[in-house]
Amino acid sequence: MLKPVLWIHAEALGPANPALVAHPGTPAVFVFDRELIVQAGLSLKRLGFLYECLLELPVSLRKGDVAEEVLAFARAHGADGIVTSAGTDPRVEVICRTLEQQLPVQLLAVEPFVQLEGPADLGRFSRYWRRAEREVWAGWDQEV
Amino acid sequence: MASDSLAGVPLAWPEQPGELPRRFDSRQALEAELQQLFPEAPGALSPIRGGRRQAELLLQRLQPERYAKGRNFLDGPVTRLSPYIRHGVLTLAEVRDAVFARTRSRQGSEKLINELGWRDYWQRLWRRLGDGIWHDREPLKTGQAPEHYAAALPADLLEARTGLACMDGFVQELHSTGWLHNHARMWLASYVVHWRRVRWQAGARWFLQHLLDGDPASNNLSWQWVASCFSSKPYLFNRDNLERFSSGRYCRVCSAATDGTCPFEASYEQLQVDLFPGAGPC
Repeated sequence: MLKPVLWIHAEALGPANPALVAHPGTPAVFVFDRELIVQAGLSLKRLGFLYECLLELPVSLRKGDVAEEVLAFARAHGADGIVTSAGTDPRVEVICRTLEQQLPVQLLAVEPFVQLEGPADLGRFSRYWRRAEREVWAGWDQEV
Repeated sequence: MASDSLAGVPLAWPEQPGELPRRFDSRQALEAELQQLFPEAPGALSPIRGGRRQAELLLQRLQPERYAKGRNFLDGPVTRLSPYIRHGVLTLAEVRDAVFARTRSRQGSEKLINELGWRDYWQRLWRRLGDGIWHDREPLKTGQAPEHYAAALPADLLEARTGLACMDGFVQELHSTGWLHNHARMWLASYVVHWRRVRWQAGARWFLQHLLDGDPASNNLSWQWVASCFSSKPYLFNRDNLERFSSGRYCRVCSAATDGTCPFEASYEQLQVDLFPGAGPC
């Protein structure tokens, strides 16, 4: 990928977004997801909060069908691929699959809160935390 | 330009025709523009501002030890970082490191780190369950079949006219600010599911419409925890609990609190019997 554009989605609206970190100055776009807004019945408060976050990032703003708008943005900038950050919402993956039909997509990982080897027991928080807490605090021990 | 103008950071590329504006004379102008752009989204802006600058201000005020002691009180020293974490304005790792930087003794910061752990836990569950977070994880422990719960929220609740000062206050705050203290969320969710017997999914969808930190995983799985389909028993509260942690601000002005009609004025044992007559002992 020699000339990508960045797709910024609503899980990574800060300077630690790995796509922004890896490609400073590269054209980036956020799309207000019309279908999601209507289906979920999102209030203006939520959109306004996102908008204010986005004004502090180097990102162009669009609205409509997310995949269509990201691809249109990529075409307008003569891009040969799309870089974005990994998301938790299954909707991110669905959109990436649609994008991949037109252009290669690179997903970059966000720094994790805690790194656990192998699958974690998520049956209850207490079981997860028994294991994760030790790993989280190991990071603090190293710093002091 | 007015001092409260909002201008997007400069872009290193030309904007394309049809892209959304990034410069506003005021917050009111932003609100008016958004109402035009998104006529399907009801309401107005929240007084809570988005953006990294605001997030960093809050981050600088973190007090892990005070948080641990007072976080359950509505006027306690909670972080208010959740909307910024939800949208990655701050990553969980950044907040973790900010807590570490203010940690003198591990014990003093354990509670706040634990709460960040909850966020990480919900996200891991979402990755595993996908849209399954909208379905009951386990059977309810209320003695009630799922079909005995209403599919929609009652109008008096949505209009903040239940006559209960606490619940009406929470609804007004949710609708006007998009943020509620976690304890208020739990009380409101418990009231919706157990007192009004509404399906947790209706409440979860309502919260997601309004909460600036509305995260389907944290939200839905917490509603399931309250409802008892992701916990060993339903979450209940009573007046004593609510009055204590709200410092009496609602009960003082609530007619139901003085005329004997407060539905929360009971022991937990009595509430259990009244609300879940078909359930076995918890």
